[in-house]
Amino acid sequence: MEVLRIEGLSKVFGSGRLEVRALEEINLSVSAGDLVALLGPSGSGKTTLLLCTSLILDPTAGKIVFDSQTIFQKNGWSGGVDIRRLRREKMGFIFQSHNLIPFLNARQNVLFPLSLVGTKGESADNRVMELLEYMEITERADYLPALLSGGEQQRVAIARALANNPRLILADEPTASLDTVRGKKVMELLKKIAKENQSAVIVVTHDVRMIEGFDHVYQLKDGRLNLG
Amino acid sequence: MDLAIYDLKIHKWRFIATIIGVCLLFAVVLSFNGIYRGFLLEGLSFIKTTNPDLWVVERDRGGPINEQSILPEFYHYNVAAIAGVAQASPLIYYPVERKIMGKKRRFAIVGYDVFGGLGGPQDIVAGHGIDQAHYEMVAHQKLGVKVGEMVRLGLHTYRVVGLTSQGSDVDGEPLVYLSLPDAQEVLFQRDNEEIRNQRERLWQNLTRSVGLSKSEADKYLARLLPDTHLINAVVVKLAPGADVGAVSRQIQKWLYLSVYTTDQQINLMLQGRLAKPKAQTVLFRIILFIVSMVIISLVIYTFTMEKIRSIAVMKLIGAPNWVIIRMVLEESLLLTCSSFLFGLILISNTYQLFPRRVILLPGDHVTTFLIALLGAILASGLGLRQALKTEPALALGGH
Ligand SMILES: Nc1ncnc2c1ncn2[C@@H]1O[C@H](COP(=O)(O)OP(=O)(O)OP(=O)(O)O)[C@@H](O)[C@H]1O
Ligand SMILES: [Mg+2]
Repeated sequence: MEVLRIEGLSKVFGSGRLEVRALEEINLSVSAGDLVALLGPSGSGKTTLLLCTSLILDPTAGKIVFDSQTIFQKNGWSGGVDIRRLRREKMGFIFQSHNLIPFLNARQNVLFPLSLVGTKGESADNRVMELLEYMEITERADYLPALLSGGEQQRVAIARALANNPRLILADEPTASLDTVRGKKVMELLKKIAKENQSAVIVVTHDVRMIEGFDHVYQLKDGRLNLG
Repeated sequence: MDLAIYDLKIHKWRFIATIIGVCLLFAVVLSFNGIYRGFLLEGLSFIKTTNPDLWVVERDRGGPINEQSILPEFYHYNVAAIAGVAQASPLIYYPVERKIMGKKRRFAIVGYDVFGGLGGPQDIVAGHGIDQAHYEMVAHQKLGVKVGEMVRLGLHTYRVVGLTSQGSDVDGEPLVYLSLPDAQEVLFQRDNEEIRNQRERLWQNLTRSVGLSKSEADKYLARLLPDTHLINAVVVKLAPGADVGAVSRQIQKWLYLSVYTTDQQINLMLQGRLAKPKAQTVLFRIILFIVSMVIISLVIYTFTMEKIRSIAVMKLIGAPNWVIIRMVLEESLLLTCSSFLFGLILISNTYQLFPRRVILLPGDHVTTFLIALLGAILASGLGLRQALKTEPALALGGH
């Protein structure tokens, strides 16, 4: 079942002499349970593609269909979408760093997206414990992000991204701050999540060693997407 | 999930330090409200405690408090003779600085007709009023004397027979009530040595320069010596049904004196002696308030701005705006309300230590609090504007 379809997506930053064509005519389709890798050199537009997909950045042209709903369409109907609601209910984000809320401890950081969709009380607490156990980080549950190592922070961030069983997980270099062993483990985890939850997972990475076992591998170069 | 509480818990000490600072600021604002009220109350205190229907003073003088007025004592008989006047009493009001119990003290002497005259002490809290023609005094508690104590003033010693708790002179100093002749003596009469000298000078003048004989000089001497039978005002109680305007006009026309009602007397003060200090206090109150509001706004704005990255993360995860608005508003209200509360507690427990009277009115507190609250919400609004404008991509650093 198709979770995400991107058609002719373009993104242009700036204008005139400062114009940067970060994405050109991207077409991409991702199905439930798919584990997709996005490779490419620095500046090729990988992050931009993730941000446009979740409408954190507005695309310049193209169309995005998410979970059978057109969430973006240039030169046509695209209104009436509560994108933040879609993000909190159906998308999960894992970014390289700095994306835990610094004044919430690990447990509360995972609880936060649950509270946003109205999951409360014991069921919320149980879900948090379940996720922390899954990420093997229970003994750090009461620590603030600042007191966690980079890898521990990343695992909390993944737990948070998984909290609401998202249809789509967008991960931007989730292994960049980890050593190879830990990095591999995170990739294994994402694989497991894709299969067990039937989520679509798009992972951006520099590192070709990390992509074994992925269903699809794409290569971004100068804003253009090719099958890798 | 109460984000504000979590944030404040993490920054507990900084939050407490901020509250201490802002609470002191509020305490100063509240104390200044009280200083303003106290200043007005004390400035008008003598007029209001005396509160006669009319004040009769020297022609064209705004006396006896706003400026000096001197009348011969017997004028009160003339005033009493005017139709519509039920009672007219002589009154002395005179600020002085004298030694009391070995210490220099400022106070105001009020001399009045102790045998049923107007203008005596109203609110005796210990002892009783003056009932002897001489050598008794009633003083405000603030003077620091006790009932039964003997106090030396000028040539004589006076027994403290009563204490009052209200009424002060314009500068907030205590009032000391004496019988009219005692007050005249304390104020206008020099000591015996000086009297002898003055007599001698006058006598020499009369016999040598004017060329009078010794017996003639003796005869005129008494008349030429300075008159101590002076008062500062005549206070009047009107007969029931008497017309204030008509009686005033009569006194002005026939006795060639100036007349004020108590309300006019108050206005004289507000437009005279009290006008500039009042304007100054009001101005200072406004400046202080603006400064406080600016500081509170800055604090709240800073609290919000330093969370801007977290706010971007929240938006990225998909938090709706109200979650962010609630967090910012809660912090700002918590800061403002607890600071105000502690400020109020602080000033309520220390206002008696101020050198001049500080009057804390609940109405002033409420107004101050409401304006502070409004300021806090406006300041949060500024922070929120930034917060809501924040791009979620900011959470990723690069974008
Ligand atoms: N906000 C922006 N304004 C202007 N140009 C931008 C902006 N964001 C990205 N770009 C440009 O768009 C291009 C793609 O950037 P992007 O961050 O997507 O690259 P990336 O593939 O994620 O690189 P990296 O591997 O270094 O993270 C780059 O040339 C970058 O300079
Ligand atoms: Mg990138």
